[in-house]
Amino acid sequence: MITITINDKVCQCEDGEYILKVAKDNGIEIPNLCNDESVAVYGACGICQIEILDDGKGRALPKLCRACSTQAHDGYVVRYDTERVMRSRRVALELLMSDHSGDCLGPCKLNCPAGTDIQKYLKQISAGDYHGAVKTIKQAFPLPASIGRVCPHPCEKNCRRRHVDKPLSIAFLKSYAADKDLAENTYRAECKDDNGKSVAIVGGGPAGLTAAYFLRLQGYSVTVYDAMKKMGGMLRYGIPAYRLPKSIVDRECEEIEALGVKFVNECRIGADTTIEKLKDENDAVIVAVGAWKSMNMRVAGEELDGVVGGIDFLRNISSGEGVKPDLSGKKIAVCGGGNTAMDACRSAIRCGADKVYVIYRRTREEMPAEDIEIEESIEEGVEYKFLANPAEIIGEAGKVKKVKLQLMELGEPDASGRRSPKPIEGKFEELDVDVVIMAIGQSLNGNGTECLEKTKKGTISADEYTFMTSVDGVFAVGDATNRGASIAIEAIGEGNRCAQAVDNYLNGRPVAVKKPIVSRRKDEEIDFSGREKKERIVMPTRPAEERRKDFDEVNLGFDDEEKVKSEAKRCLECGCHDYEDCKLVRYANLCEINPERFSGKKNDNPIERRLVSIERNPNKCILCGLCVRVCDEVAGKGILGLVGRGFSTVIKPEFKDDSVISKCAECHKCADACPTGALKIIK
Amino acid sequence: MTDKAIDLSLIEPVLKEYAGVKGSLITILQNVQEIYGYLPSEAIYRVAEATDCSPARVMGVATFYTQFRFTPIGKYLILLCKGTACHVNGSDMIAKAVYEALGITDGQTTEDGLFSLTFVACLGCCSLSPVMMINDETYGSLTPDKVKKIIADIKAKEA
Amino acid sequence: MKITVGQGSCGIAAGAAKVSKALTDALSGSGIIPGITGCIGMCYLEPIVDVYEDDGRLHRLVKVSENDAETIADAVKSGDMTKLASLEISDEDKEFLAKQTRIALRHCGVLDPESIEEYISAGGYKSLEKVLKGETPEQVIETIKISGLAGRGGAGFPTWFKWNAARQSRCPEGGKKYLICNADEGDPGAFMDRAVIESDPHGLIEGMLIGAYAIGASEAVVYVRAEYPLAIVRLKKAIAQAEKAGYIGENILGTDFCCDFRIKAGAGAFVCGEETALIASLEGERGMPRLKPPFPAQKGYWQMPSNINNVETFANVAWIIENGGEAFAAMGTPDSKGTKVFALTGKIRRGGLVEIPMGKTLRDVIFDIGGGIKNDGTFKAVQMGGPSGGCIPAELLDTVIDYKKLSATGAIMGSGGMVVMDDSTCMVGMAKFFLDFTAKESCGKCVHCRIGTKRMQEILTRIVEGEGREGDIEALEELCSAIKEGALCGLGQTAPNPVLTTLKYFRNEYEAHIKDKTCPAHECRALLRYNIDSDKCKGCTLCARNCPAKAISGEVRKPHVIDQTLCIKCGQCAANCKFGAVSVK
Repeated sequence: MITITINDKVCQCEDGEYILKVAKDNGIEIPNLCNDESVAVYGACGICQIEILDDGKGRALPKLCRACSTQAHDGYVVRYDTERVMRSRRVALELLMSDHSGDCLGPCKLNCPAGTDIQKYLKQISAGDYHGAVKTIKQAFPLPASIGRVCPHPCEKNCRRRHVDKPLSIAFLKSYAADKDLAENTYRAECKDDNGKSVAIVGGGPAGLTAAYFLRLQGYSVTVYDAMKKMGGMLRYGIPAYRLPKSIVDRECEEIEALGVKFVNECRIGADTTIEKLKDENDAVIVAVGAWKSMNMRVAGEELDGVVGGIDFLRNISSGEGVKPDLSGKKIAVCGGGNTAMDACRSAIRCGADKVYVIYRRTREEMPAEDIEIEESIEEGVEYKFLANPAEIIGEAGKVKKVKLQLMELGEPDASGRRSPKPIEGKFEELDVDVVIMAIGQSLNGNGTECLEKTKKGTISADEYTFMTSVDGVFAVGDATNRGASIAIEAIGEGNRCAQAVDNYLNGRPVAVKKPIVSRRKDEEIDFSGREKKERIVMPTRPAEERRKDFDEVNLGFDDEEKVKSEAKRCLECGCHDYEDCKLVRYANLCEINPERFSGKKNDNPIERRLVSIERNPNKCILCGLCVRVCDEVAGKGILGLVGRGFSTVIKPEFKDDSVISKCAECHKCADACPTGALKIIK
Repeated sequence: MTDKAIDLSLIEPVLKEYAGVKGSLITILQNVQEIYGYLPSEAIYRVAEATDCSPARVMGVATFYTQFRFTPIGKYLILLCKGTACHVNGSDMIAKAVYEALGITDGQTTEDGLFSLTFVACLGCCSLSPVMMINDETYGSLTPDKVKKIIADIKAKEA
Repeated sequence: MKITVGQGSCGIAAGAAKVSKALTDALSGSGIIPGITGCIGMCYLEPIVDVYEDDGRLHRLVKVSENDAETIADAVKSGDMTKLASLEISDEDKEFLAKQTRIALRHCGVLDPESIEEYISAGGYKSLEKVLKGETPEQVIETIKISGLAGRGGAGFPTWFKWNAARQSRCPEGGKKYLICNADEGDPGAFMDRAVIESDPHGLIEGMLIGAYAIGASEAVVYVRAEYPLAIVRLKKAIAQAEKAGYIGENILGTDFCCDFRIKAGAGAFVCGEETALIASLEGERGMPRLKPPFPAQKGYWQMPSNINNVETFANVAWIIENGGEAFAAMGTPDSKGTKVFALTGKIRRGGLVEIPMGKTLRDVIFDIGGGIKNDGTFKAVQMGGPSGGCIPAELLDTVIDYKKLSATGAIMGSGGMVVMDDSTCMVGMAKFFLDFTAKESCGKCVHCRIGTKRMQEILTRIVEGEGREGDIEALEELCSAIKEGALCGLGQTAPNPVLTTLKYFRNEYEAHIKDKTCPAHECRALLRYNIDSDKCKGCTLCARNCPAKAISGEVRKPHVIDQTLCIKCGQCAANCKFGAVSVK
């Protein structure tokens, strides 16, 4: 027996044993991709490099060595994480990724700000496993029934199925599963044992609730403080009930509370408590206060009675506990083209307004609001004034009387690609109105957050990866921070990552939470021509005439379970089946590589389906040769071989089909040995 | 070029000569290629069987070396030297001249089956660079015009 | 009277075989049949005919053509050698050989490579006899140790050390040791080994047999490139002759020493020059390098102790045995002993094979022996060591030829390729040329080489095509250092050298390509810009009429202009202009 040390750990082994094996026997994982104990040492990947700092005689070896094929001798001092090793390993992984063509994750998941594993839950839904689907979703956020109803679903916008026919109806499938789950046998995650630490969260909206949920699961004592009467934030007070019934928000908040999260309502930061105080009483504070101040239009007449902010208008309706303001006989102008404007105009219709205008300075094409919202609002009677901008609100006796509109035309596209509107000189129009709703954006109501550094936009400045503010131990997320107001799922994603950051912070780990490094293909690289078309499910809605009268939910929900399942089955399953087990992507993340650094031409070979029950994707293959060697050395078949040389080498089964079929024992040892997802068992 | 049925009996003497000789796979393949002008897949299977190797391995070996071809070659095989000395003395222009004369580049054969072109690393005639070989004849100190004339002469001879 | 025609591959390519046939015809009836020799190494003067008078006086005739056959026959028949004057080598050209010291090449161009009798009468196989009958293997190894002979394949590893390791290595029961000659001379721009085999196959065989005796091998194998058909033919012939004469086979020269001899033709893979890949190839496998250790001396060919040296190394052995290790060691520098053969090519006035003692300078070889740059051009750099080597610039011309001194420049001694470049050679293009080569020749096993060289090649390609980007140089440097560190075998580990040396000495050329989109050597087509000087242009319309892209317009007798968007940079305009009005930048 001899003694060597690997990364400071003293290991006993036989003289001449390979260092990779010694490490493994001692519970140390030296990264490697082409090694497998069942076959002979090969030495191709170069990932297992080590530096021998002492060869037992006081000398360091000048070259890096491969742990898989370097023999241990007494007194060796080995490290596999020196800067030199890491640089070399990183380049090797970056080079591998530069010729690795596949999607670790589907574009749906990649584009979901909360990183929800959509492909997985769609699969579960397609099998009728709604409970499982909710469990999957709740690994990303705790509000599936709510979010399924209101999310503008970036997942669907990026769904590759749109290149075949139409994207999947992901959001509604989610709310369908969540409703089923809420109705009976609701999934509830297990919390870890209390860890004795506490976190205060200011703001019970989507970001705050999500952070609370995940911290609670980690065993923290969590208290959420909110200024309003009930939890839910914008979900409850911003989004009208016809889109998201309050009962759903209630149920999902109850679920969070049931885990042991303490809710403290009607507690206003700056008035009833302070960040400093909360910081003193807790181990960490998360500020998730949202953006509740409607932005002004900076036109004359804004002070008139009858001019209201969009958010204020919506909150007013939602706080009414079923009592809606009476707008009958009134003419309303809603200024703005976003989703808040939609919520405001459609709510105004529901409050009995005589006439509702939406005033937008560009055209419908450029409207940021969801298309379906515009569509439905028109059905409900909203009238649009495009290419018009309020120039002045004209009052009479302190009350709104008219709005004067500057007519616009579209100029050149700006940096964002949208054509920017320009006033047409001297062209104006006047509308008779009683109420003007300003829905051009929201900003932070800074009260109570004075102690935190702000951005130029007036939002709270928080680090993109650690969510830390200028005050140690105080974190901030959501609409209140950095770029300002965005969609709910964005705030939710931040809430989730912030919970991890706080957990890291309180456990002395590096705080930053980064999005995973993945391999991804561009849509243009993919051939969709062979895909069969299947119609997208349509969400049934109440007739416009009926729904415009009340705040009951517009969507009726799916009633045919089979249709739901078959909708879920439309998923193209873009994400790799092997993502969880893929060593390549695991090391890519471990070494924090930049997969684009050495990007260049990739090999492009057709998917090989000649192996009986294995589908072989050569474009994901990293040529570690394990499948070839296992088939030869372990299975004794030798069906696979390396073909060609150099960069264009490809692994192929021998070229006569009948011979392959007769020899393959379907042992799947090749697929088991593959470190990536190049081999997929299909039977 | 018409696909002729491969007469596998032609390679039996080769297989017999090297039967049981360890490590002779490359030599056998060289002999097989000598016979057919390339390596037909039937012959690869036959070699695999005779040498007790898997066909995948034989294919792996054959595709590793640039000498082996898997499609029939033209009557005149042009080996165009891409060595350092030839590069410095303008082998790219020579390759271009061949392309202009025949419309083929590395690894290709003319439609009439008369010419094949293969780039080779170095023919070892560096002092005559740029150089090419057509079948067994070496042509040195080439210029694009010289190349066109050499090809035209062969074409005239074959016409 | 004796006549020989030098017929190495390049001589034949230059027309030597035709000359020989014409001479044979012209001399028919005279009783003189022209003999053959291998390569004398003065490639730039091929075909070469040597006429020896009976008193041994030599008339070396150069650049002989078939049409000269009658003249030569006439002179020979009449005995009036003055008739050969116009064909005789100039005094200046004689210097090319006179300034060399030939050991490895001692028989090249002198002996008939197809005649064992000539070899024996020149003292051949005496060294073999000397060791077999009078020296122990250990003594042989000691002599080689004293000589300081180092591997001539490139790395310069001491030969005695390898021999000794193989000698000491225990052979498993029933096994045998192998001696292998690496004649897979794949470095583009090098042809020393080919010349030795074609011109002095017995010299190689004798050196190998001595080596086999020293390590205790009973089988010798020569792994030759398939691209060297003539070398294979001559070596085969020589082996048959040596076998017949009792130098190969059982109980050689009546001693206990037995050694079989074989040739194995390679099949086209540069990486097989790497010794573990060569062994894989010998075993009939894909020529992919194997992990070391175990080293071939322990477990090599068929897992048996094996020793591999290259052709030139073996070509020195018989001489060392004959003259003693000290005589060899008397030449050279403290670090590098003996002589080294170089294949001098490129933009050189007198190109060919040059053998000089270590310790001479690059300037000695290129200017003194090679006569400097062709067409009075300006020396820019010399590439040594091929794809594993680098470019040495003019300011380092006085570098001494010595393993360590050359390595210090970033290039390597290499196997002996010496490609000279003038200022019309683009150094980025040169680096790209070698990366094209290594990327094509990479076996594909290890990641660093397989993908790394490909990425370097892509970056270099975009630079020479005018698409270079900010950060490309840094990306190249990063790849270079990672590949050097991470590649599995020598081919991969040294693949960055051509880039590293050009970056070191010609970084400004890279920058010019990337930032200014110009090629200082005016070689990279995509970056050229042809312009017509309106003061010089007479409006003769010749350029416009010859422009294949119809990119030139102008009225008769008025200055013409080139439409840069249409110009395909073929250079026809510049070539056709009689007034020097077309300039290229």
